Formats: sequence, structure tokens, C-alpha cells
Amino acid sequence: MFEGLFMFGHSVLRFGTPEIIFYALTSSLVGVIMGALPGLTATMALALMTTLTLKLPHEEALLILICTYVGSIYGGSRSAILLNIPGTPASAASCLDGYALARQGMAGRAMGIATTGSVLGTLIGMFFLAFFTPILGGMALKFGAYEFFWLALFGVIIAGTLTGDDPLKGWIAGIAGLFIAGIGQEPQYGYERFSWDVRDLAGGIQLVPALVGAFGFAELLTAMRTRQLPVKISAFDTVIPKLRDVTQYWRTILRSGVIGTGVGIVPGVGEDVAAWSSYAAAKRASKEKEKFGKGSVEGLMAAETGDNACVPGAMIPVLTLAIPGSAPAAVLMAAMIIHGVKPGPMIMIENPQFVYDVVAMMLFATIGILIYGLVLTKALVQVLRVPQHFIVPIIFVLCSVGSFAIAGRLFDVYVMLAFGIIGFFLRSFGYPMAPLVLGIVLGDLLEKNLRRALLLSDGDLTPFFTRPISAVVAALIFVTVGFKIWSLYKQARARAAAAAGAAP
Amino acid sequence: MSESVQSARSDLLGGAGWVGFGLLITAESLRMDRYESMGAVIYTMPGFVPGMIGCVIVFLGALLMFRGWRRSRQGQPDTADGPVLNQRIVLTLVFALIYAAGMIGRVPFWLATALFVAAFTWTFAPDGAPRPRRLASAAMAGFVTSIVVTLVFQQVFLVRLP
Repeated sequence: MFEGLFMFGHSVLRFGTPEIIFYALTSSLVGVIMGALPGLTATMALALMTTLTLKLPHEEALLILICTYVGSIYGGSRSAILLNIPGTPASAASCLDGYALARQGMAGRAMGIATTGSVLGTLIGMFFLAFFTPILGGMALKFGAYEFFWLALFGVIIAGTLTGDDPLKGWIAGIAGLFIAGIGQEPQYGYERFSWDVRDLAGGIQLVPALVGAFGFAELLTAMRTRQLPVKISAFDTVIPKLRDVTQYWRTILRSGVIGTGVGIVPGVGEDVAAWSSYAAAKRASKEKEKFGKGSVEGLMAAETGDNACVPGAMIPVLTLAIPGSAPAAVLMAAMIIHGVKPGPMIMIENPQFVYDVVAMMLFATIGILIYGLVLTKALVQVLRVPQHFIVPIIFVLCSVGSFAIAGRLFDVYVMLAFGIIGFFLRSFGYPMAPLVLGIVLGDLLEKNLRRALLLSDGDLTPFFTRPISAVVAALIFVTVGFKIWSLYKQARARAAAAAGAAP
Repeated sequence: MSESVQSARSDLLGGAGWVGFGLLITAESLRMDRYESMGAVIYTMPGFVPGMIGCVIVFLGALLMFRGWRRSRQGQPDTADGPVLNQRIVLTLVFALIYAAGMIGRVPFWLATALFVAAFTWTFAPDGAPRPRRLASAAMAGFVTSIVVTLVFQQVFLVRLP
């Protein structure tokens, strides 16, 4: 416990240089701006920033990415409150009460609550990140190939189940991601799979250009579907949060922080589910249920605390298992690997200081969003007025240059274009992108561990179901899939019955 | 997911597409070298995992097709919110492809970027603005973006540009 505190203090002191503070504040601001602009998500911001920070030392680069991540999840609340458009999917729950408060002339108060909730949510998540990572890291050391295979599959299946409207399409997207990860030379014999004599494909699909395409270019195309309406932002009151809002709703804050962190720990779920779960739990427990959706301070506080607490939560499985807790965390994990940091069960043995470095980076990001939330509100609001036809081409230029920057190959720009177009069509037909990303990230882990496990057991499948942790994760997967198929079947029957009843 | 197209027809066609894709993956996996002379067993062969993935995609695609078929049999109305493509998206795609696939690497980066941003901004600017103002703002956007991106990437982030 005290050793952890000492290491955390060491990280904070080490990062307390003017250069690092400048990086932290600038990248938090970039995150807030990108999060605030509808159509630009946290995943996209992280994918773009990964390409920009390739040449920086790994600590600076990861600090910039973590600050961008925290900033963008917070920034989404701006447009949710002022325009009723979630800047990122994580802020969708904040629209309900945030915009209602703004319409009642309390936009400033709503933004203050969003800032308070986001800051406290991140702090609660940071506590759990620092506390649980060493414990889970110790447990993860007992995991073998069987457990890692199931965990990788669990991440893809859970992301497919929870991140879209249609689990079947979510699972297809996730499995397609696993296929994409398998393109290129396979690890054992160096056989070139699915490269069809294209030299660049033999090296496999680089993760970052694929993500920039699926989350950047595809989102730009989606955003361009409709002409942007003139932005009307009403005047707002003070953004300084009231102490009463914190003391009155401390239970909601704590509960949402715990729920947000917990959702973050579950592989592949993410901030939007954390916000909605926290919101739903707050509504169930509230004495003022009737205010929810009509401008409830408690509802907004719950949603904002939950989504930001999810950010440190999503880092826990990244650090301990190398399995991302959310789509942006998947990009962050890819960036860690690019920068030579090896997340996974060995991290608490090989590089325990890094875990506390991440916690310290979160602290700097929290300070950043607190400053921007309290001081720069009016200036930041003006960002929302920048017309779409200026933002879209600039972001596309960044997508192109960023993809090229990874390896200096034009092929990666074409990968970005291809994934953007495919991602746009998949999204248009209701296929969520998060499972696809999880599939691409976890494909290698899944294949290596499946083959290793079968080699160890000489082809016997029994250990996959008899080892205790393996059995639990396998059971969770089968129960999740079974339950979802059953509920889809029930829905289909109900629809059929309704259609039969409506027929003359 | 308001913009998604969720219909019996899209499930049926999408499912068929996935079944075809899965079969392609499975067939390609079966064609891969098996390295039996090097002592490979089925689960160490290069095509083992992709083959399994292909089979799962075929199964899930068939489920999607079955759902679409059931929905169409029940005569459920399509809930499409509009066409997937419209003129704005097609134009954006054309601009993006010309810039990223046609100009980058062949035309100096600063020039390609300035032309792309200016043309895009000009095309999508609101109709009501006076023509000279639209032209000036588009040219300015192209010029400034080109200079800033080139300088920031090369000087600050030390990234080589195409």
C-alpha cells in the first residue's frame, strides 16, 4: 500500500517538469476540443494523436495520449449540454439532463456539474487503477494459454453484445476483426496468409491506419451525411460548481465512480455503457426519479462521473492482461506496444513503476480538464461554432498524414481509405465498430494462445473447460451468447405475434 | 444508431454477403500449406485459426440471413431511415480518394493539401455566402492548413511527409 503511494509520488514528481506539464495541458485541451466537436470521438482522437507522437520518447507520448483520452471523454459533455448532440458516444446519457438544464437557463451550472462529475469520476477510477492493478496483475500471473484464449474471445463477444443495438451484427464485426488480425505472415512458419502476392499485405494490416480509417474517415463520412445547421448557443450562467451539488449527491458520485470503473474493467465495453449504467443506477436509487430526463442534476452527475471513471477502469485490463477495456483503450494499448511498453501479466514484475506512471498521467489529465472546465469555458464553446466544412478536410488531412507517418508507406494510406469506406458501410448497416477494433487488437493474442494451448494439451479440449478460471470465463461467454440469443428469439416472437394481431 | 439501415432486406443481403465471405476465408484456409512434412498437426497449421473464423462467419451470416428471411415472411416493414449514400457523402468520398489515393505521393504534399482543403471548403460552404467571400475563405483555409500541417508535422513531431 505505502510502496504504491511512494511509487505514485515518485511518478508525479518525475512528471512535474515544465515540458511535461505543457504536454499534459496541451493534449488535454486537444482532447477536450476533439471530444466537444460532434463526429470526432475519443477513439479517433487517440488514433490521430498516436500517429503524431511516434517520434517522441514513450513517456511523453503516452502522457499525451492519456491526457487526450481523458480530455475527449470530458469534452463530449460540452456539445451534449449546449447542443443536445453528444460530442462522443460516451456523452449520450448527458444529453438527457444536461440539455434540459441548459434550456432552463442553467447551461453554466450543467457544465460545472459535468466538470465536477468528470474530475471526481477520474479520481475514483484512478484510485481503483492504483489499488487493483497490482492485485489483478498478481492474479494474471496464474493465467495460462487457455485462460488468455477465453479472455480474448470474451472481449470480442462482450463488445459485440453490449456496444451496438444488434448483438448478432456485433459478433460478426468482432469475428471479422479477428480475421483481419490474421492477415499477413503467421507466427509459426512465416506463411503469408491472405496476402495474394501483394508484398505490403504480407506484413499484415497495421493497426493504427486501420483504426484511423474505421474511426476517423468513416466518422467523417457519417458526419457529412447532413448539412450542419447553424449553431445557436444560448447565454449561460456561472460554471463554478456548487459545493452543495457534491455534498448532496456524494452517494451518486461514489456509486457512479464504482460502476464506471467496473464497466471499464470488463473487456471491450466502454464509456458509453458506463455512462448509461451509472445513469440507470442513479435513477433507480434516486428520491427524485421524476426529475430524470427533465434537468436532473443527479442524473447529469451520474452520467459524467460514470463515463470518466471508466477511463482509468479500462486501463486495468490493458495493464494486467493486455486486453483493452474499451475501444479508445485498444488504441492506447496499440500505442504502448509501438512505444516498446509491454502491457500484460508481467508488468508488475518487469515494470511496476509504469502502472503508477499511468496513474500520475491520469492525475495530470484531471488537472487539465479541471482548469479548462472552470476557466476556458467561453472560449471552448466557440469551438462548437467552427463550421463542418472547415473541420472535415483538416481532419482528413491528419488521417492521411498520420497513417503515412507510421511506417512511411503509401500503402498505409490506402489501408486507411479502405477501412474508412468499409467502416462507413458497416456502420450504416448497424455493425458497431468497437468489436471490430477489439477483434483486430486481440486476434494475435487469441490465435497464439489457442495454438499454444492445443499444443500443450496435445489437441485435448478438456483443459479449456476444467481449469477453474478458464471454466468461469468460458461459462460467462456461453451464458452471454445463450442469453442474448434467447432474448432475440423472444423479441422476434413478440414482433411476429404483434404483426399477426395487427393483420386484418 | 439512427442512421443505420435495419431491414429484412439488408439482413438477407448482408447475411448472404457474410456467408460468401466466410466461405472464401474457409476455402483459402484449406488451400494453405499444411507443413505436414515438418511435423505440423492440424492445430499448428497456418490455416487452422482462419479456417475456424471462416466457419464462424458462415454460421453467423446464415443466422443473419435466416432472421432477414423470417422478417420478410412476416411482412415486417423496413425501418430504413434513408439511403446509405447521398450526394454529400459521394462528393466527400470523391474528394478524399482524389487527395489520398491520387495526389499524395505524386504531387508535393503542401500543394495537394492546399488544393484539397480549398476545393472541399468551397464545395461544401453554405450556399447563401457571396461568391468572392466563399472563394477567399476556401483559399485561405487551404493555404493555412497546408502551411500549418507541413510545419507542425515536420518541425514539431519530426514526421516525414509523403
